[in-house]
Amino acid sequence: MKKILRIIFFSLLVIPLHANEIDKYILSEKGMQQVCSDEVFIRRTFLTITGRLPKTDVVIQFLSSTDPQKRTILIDQILNSEEYVHYIVMRWGDILRIKSEFPSNLWPNSVQAYDRWLYEKISGNTPYNQFVSELLLSKGSNFRTPTVNFYRAFLKRTPDNIYKNISLLFLGTRKTLDDGQLCFYQIRYKNTKEWKEEIVYPDVRIFPATSTIKMFDGKEIRFDENQDWRIPFVAWLTSKENNRFAGVMANRLWFWITGKGIINEPDDWRKSNLPSNPELLNFLTNRFINSGYDMKAMIRLILNSKAYQSEMAPKGQYIPQRLQAEVTVDALADITGIYDSYMSRVPEPFTFYPEGTRSVDLGDATVSSSDLELFGRVSRDVSLESQRSNKITSRQLLYLTNSVELEGKIRKSNILNRICAQNNNVDDVCKAISLMTLSRYPTKEEIMLFKVYAENNNLKLRDLATVIQWTYINSSEFLFNH
Amino acid sequence: MKNILIIFVFLALAFRIEAQHAKSVILIYLDGGPSQTDTFDPKPGSSRDISGNLKDPIQTNVPGIIINQKLPLLAKIANKYSLIRSMTHGVNGHETGHYAMITGDLSGGSVVYPSYGSVISYMKKDTYKGVLPSYISLVSANNRFNEGGFIGNEYKSFDTSGAPENSIFEVDGFVNRLVKPETLKSRLQLLDGFEKANQLFRNTANSLVLDSLRQRNNQLIFGKAAQVFDLATETKEMRERYGMTRIGQSCLEARKLVEAGVPFINVRITGWDTHKSHFQRMNIMLPELDKALSALLIDLDEKGLLEKTIVLCGGEFGRTPKVLWEAPWNGGRGHFGQAFSYLVAGGGFIPGKVIGATDKTGENITDRKVFPCDLIGTVYLLMGIDPHGTLPHISEGMLPLLPSLGKANQSNGLLFELINLKKE
Repeated sequence: MKKILRIIFFSLLVIPLHANEIDKYILSEKGMQQVCSDEVFIRRTFLTITGRLPKTDVVIQFLSSTDPQKRTILIDQILNSEEYVHYIVMRWGDILRIKSEFPSNLWPNSVQAYDRWLYEKISGNTPYNQFVSELLLSKGSNFRTPTVNFYRAFLKRTPDNIYKNISLLFLGTRKTLDDGQLCFYQIRYKNTKEWKEEIVYPDVRIFPATSTIKMFDGKEIRFDENQDWRIPFVAWLTSKENNRFAGVMANRLWFWITGKGIINEPDDWRKSNLPSNPELLNFLTNRFINSGYDMKAMIRLILNSKAYQSEMAPKGQYIPQRLQAEVTVDALADITGIYDSYMSRVPEPFTFYPEGTRSVDLGDATVSSSDLELFGRVSRDVSLESQRSNKITSRQLLYLTNSVELEGKIRKSNILNRICAQNNNVDDVCKAISLMTLSRYPTKEEIMLFKVYAENNNLKLRDLATVIQWTYINSSEFLFNH
Repeated sequence: MKNILIIFVFLALAFRIEAQHAKSVILIYLDGGPSQTDTFDPKPGSSRDISGNLKDPIQTNVPGIIINQKLPLLAKIANKYSLIRSMTHGVNGHETGHYAMITGDLSGGSVVYPSYGSVISYMKKDTYKGVLPSYISLVSANNRFNEGGFIGNEYKSFDTSGAPENSIFEVDGFVNRLVKPETLKSRLQLLDGFEKANQLFRNTANSLVLDSLRQRNNQLIFGKAAQVFDLATETKEMRERYGMTRIGQSCLEARKLVEAGVPFINVRITGWDTHKSHFQRMNIMLPELDKALSALLIDLDEKGLLEKTIVLCGGEFGRTPKVLWEAPWNGGRGHFGQAFSYLVAGGGFIPGKVIGATDKTGENITDRKVFPCDLIGTVYLLMGIDPHGTLPHISEGMLPLLPSLGKANQSNGLLFELINLKKE
């Protein structure tokens, strides 16, 4: 195992950037791409797969490194970090609709168990086919077998609704394609003496009305008596011949990273909704299957491509996106050092999250705040990717520009206090805030702007620091992952 | 039953609401669930187990209508509102109760419906020309579920935050005591210079969008809009009429927002979930409600706004008519979704009436059940929105605005007996 890893590692080192296989499918059609700067790359990559701004020392080290492989090395470092796991867990939590109350109604204990399970799976980089099998073949108590919560997160727990959700998540279709719902006719729920505990199980005594069903790809599933019918279903779903299963996930990862699926929306695989680059999709699908459904390897491959590292449109093809709600709220907390407090209203008495909790780590969409709502936090009502809105609105800008809350945080910020205490000149203060907020050194021009502003308004250094931070936060460069 | 529905549908077709529809809704949402028996559905002559310490309801200025003794100001103006004493949805959990009461959806489907504030905001998106958001909550909406529902975040409420009862009502984005307007202007100039110097973003599609949003916001911050949140523009006498309380000043602010043309204002007042110390808390909260709500109705009426403004008051459910004297409640009331009350006024609602009734115990409805969608549908009708209309869903196609409307045990017909109909 170690040997294989070593080989993979060194082969990655040896392959120069332009040889990333993805680019064969993209460069051939669009010619040479402009690759983004190191400053843009480090910020983009941290935001994209950890949902965080890179720390100042990491930025400085990365920018000063002369190693030609430094981008690949950084990608690997990030992919091995806890922050990566937490962020991907959140993305999965969104589409699995993990929340305590309406409409999933999972209840906090189950939410925690479910979230913990996701954490372990993503942390261990469990192959996708195995991940899905475990989820779909689950049975037992919602508190002890976290995966059964997949079958509980429905207002109406009917085979039709369950299959609709499975089709959407794993086959990328909003309308079911065959009679697969029959495979879920045995699912039953029963309560125990423990409050809010529920046992989910297949009643295998149920006799099949039909012994075989034909799936949308023409394959047949056979039901045996006294058998859990989900078993043949999952075997069909996750089989290597089922390209669709792998393709949907590969495309979803492409969507998570670039903001636009090769098939877009990523959960709308209607025949009429054509892929923008069928060869690339085909390549990614096969690569995903051949890698043993390795999600992390797929992410690594995409991040190492020029396509991903392209400059922002219109110069390159990277489409900037407004920072996601959770990412915005966490970034504002990180750069001011003042975190919002979160609490769960169920069960009573209320549960308060530890101080310094990041919204990416909440795990429960029922727990929220005005700020998260303002920036369009995913409510986890549906499993559609489109439920996440990164639209920038007038209200969001009002909050950033002119709210007592944010202004108060910037003024009270211990981080800015420290920066001003350690550096007693405008240049260095500006540099520190810029590195922390925009992941780059300030330009001479902007330092000049701040100096003139300070003079005109007769500002002391700490007050100027507030204005600098306010300006950076309100800039397009901060608001977008670019 | 079906016949009645058919008659109602016939009436809806044959008659038309007066051409002039209501323009705004003020929902005074008593979050937590207020007791119906201690407000608008008192049970005179009942035992201490039902009436507790509030056993002497008072006559209103409308013969035959009595309300709780702690609401004397409202008792003087019962000719300005009507009472529904037969609201029901049967739900006793907060989050599901909220969902039922502010979406009207009891269908139990797998789609999350938007709140009626969001629906009205959505429906008025082309006709509402004001600069303020079209759905505003004082000071925040109930975020127990996604109240933008399937129509999305854009139509969620704008939460003012802050506290209107304080000397300065700080509304995030509009009123900021920390940064003076002149200072903000100079900062915005600095930001403009910064953006122009930015090689990466200069003249990109995104920076242009930001630019136009900022310009719009400047009109809000430096123009008249921010003044709407300045309660100091009201006389001291007027402010005191409403009471210098959260509910009082919120109601006053709601009136100012109505004057500014905002279609939906949600005055959400928490603290009504009185499992314990119920009567002690009612002694404080009912007089505050009495003062605020009566002042609002009188003020709207005096200014000629009541005709075009719907005022609603109620919570996600009521409270058990039976007092829980035993420990640990020691004189509290539990959740009760079986039967509770709502006050309705203005905007085309006929005042001075009571519809629906409960029995002596207050536990069972004896006349004219009103389900959430019946009330909300009637509000839509008065606002010029077809309650039988539809909303687009991203994957489900067109869905009914009110999925429960017309369904047995989820609906009992729109409140035609409470609104003015005029023959075409």
